[in-house]
Amino acid sequence: MSALSYFWGPQASLQPALLSALAVALLCGALSPLVVLRRMAFVGQGISHAAFGGVGVAALLGLFSANTTTAALLGAWGVVALFCIGAALAIAALSRTEGVAEDTAIGILLVASMALGFLLLQIQRERAGALAVSVEGFLFGQVATTGVAEAWLAWGVLGITVLTLVLLRRPLLFWAFDEGSAASMGVRTHLVQSIFLVVVAVAVVITMQLAGVILSTAMLVLPGATALQLSRKSAVVWGLSFATGVTGALVGLFASVLLDAQPGPAIALAYVVLFGGARLGQRVWGSASGAAYLARRDIGRPRPSARDRPQHLAKASVPEDVPFVQAMDPPDVTDGP
Amino acid sequence: MTPAIRVQDVSFHWPGQPPALERVTLDVDPGERLAIIGPNGGGKSTLLRLILGELTPTSGQIEVLGMTPTEARRSGAIGYLSQQSGANRAFPLSVRQVVTMAVAVGVAPWRRLPHEARNRVEAALARADLLDLADRPVQALSGGQFQRTLLARALALDPSILVLDEPTTGLDAGAQEQLRQVLGSLRGITLLMVSHDIRALAASADDAPSGSFCHRVACLRRTLHFHAAPEGITPQVLAHVFEHDLASVFGSVRVVAEPR
Repeated sequence: MSALSYFWGPQASLQPALLSALAVALLCGALSPLVVLRRMAFVGQGISHAAFGGVGVAALLGLFSANTTTAALLGAWGVVALFCIGAALAIAALSRTEGVAEDTAIGILLVASMALGFLLLQIQRERAGALAVSVEGFLFGQVATTGVAEAWLAWGVLGITVLTLVLLRRPLLFWAFDEGSAASMGVRTHLVQSIFLVVVAVAVVITMQLAGVILSTAMLVLPGATALQLSRKSAVVWGLSFATGVTGALVGLFASVLLDAQPGPAIALAYVVLFGGARLGQRVWGSASGAAYLARRDIGRPRPSARDRPQHLAKASVPEDVPFVQAMDPPDVTDGP
Repeated sequence: MTPAIRVQDVSFHWPGQPPALERVTLDVDPGERLAIIGPNGGGKSTLLRLILGELTPTSGQIEVLGMTPTEARRSGAIGYLSQQSGANRAFPLSVRQVVTMAVAVGVAPWRRLPHEARNRVEAALARADLLDLADRPVQALSGGQFQRTLLARALALDPSILVLDEPTTGLDAGAQEQLRQVLGSLRGITLLMVSHDIRALAASADDAPSGSFCHRVACLRRTLHFHAAPEGITPQVLAHVFEHDLASVFGSVRVVAEPR
């Protein structure tokens, strides 16, 4: 039986997985350029690992047991989503307080939630014995168990996310490009930041089903990073990000079925290969539109030499063209007697 | 004539710190170009933030176009350009897209930009001498061109006052000159510009066709030491205001010759 028959035809057991993968790929493709440009890769990592605390709590509540109903499963993912959204809002709040740097705050949240998750899962395992929840599925994705409900959920979230991004496109772009000025020109940056982080958190939860906690960051970062290698035009960047997202997810999913391997790592590797290709292409030909641009507009002038460097860099020397200042006593550079 | 900016007997100090500003009184006329110079920590940026409504004076009063600074800021009457913008130049945006951001803020998401807003963008691009570069990606701009892009973004809101916090810092001489020419060509806009680079200021006084770029220079070191036309700023005044800065670099300082 060829791999394709898992996705198409009478025995298409993986069709919901394929549909989920498509939705997740488009979702990450939409968010990824902003995540990369705002340097939020680590934020995504923090949010995805915070999911672990939710997984632990849901497992302890028995929502992940063997005879799971759809309702219980949705409840379980609801708990996970609550943890991720909570982490996103906590990161947003901590990044605005002084005294704790954003990456430090994420590092603390990430460790706390993962540790809590592992402890709770261990407790659940000791209680439940054979019915214990498998950790590996959450770490690396569990495509085989993806049902029709999850596929619908993924498409629903995709719809809401795209609608949110379209409605917020102007303040969102302004905030992402220049937060300080956006605030002073009337953009409610705190609100925009919080909404964006919540959207990212929901996307992470949906992505986890496919790629797992550890690799969902790959789906959130790599499509945008790949697209940004190839273009400097926003419309082209988003188009390439969607294309990369879908290509990587499909190639990875098919490869995982062919090789009978975990889908998460296969998809992540497919993305890395695409990124490598884009990087190589960019090195060889220059960025697609960028190269055309250079040819058209003659902007590839040599960089300014050290002679033309900004004047403030040379501030410590005595300027010759200021005649009315004269150094009298040289500064004392000896270390005492 | 009502001044565009009226600073009356304003003092400011952070809690538990010595005052950053003491009893500063300053009027800026409509259309005037005023430069504020002074040493690091002299209170220049604090004064700007007070005028922009980001800080509230400990005592005294500030009026901008007859409004409180916060009201004036909200009405879009004050444009602001900072020395080092936090803008991310890796963004895949063209110059025109960046300038458009400013006019797009209040537009409902389901509506296209009104024609009038697009016209304001084009006018701002023209004023900042950027029409040739309007479609260029910001990644491909030089530092000076990028700074002019941000200036155009501020101009797109049609401010009657422009506050500039060391706008030429970090630019090479050519780009500084180009930015000054653009600023000098703005008519009907009150300019308030802060600098701690005496040389840049001297250049701006000498190079502009009219002979002096700024109508008036104010020296600020915790309090207003002096304000006068550029030719009134003597070496003695500068040495006095910058005493600490100069002494920390050269030891003690003595004035030896007239600059001109």
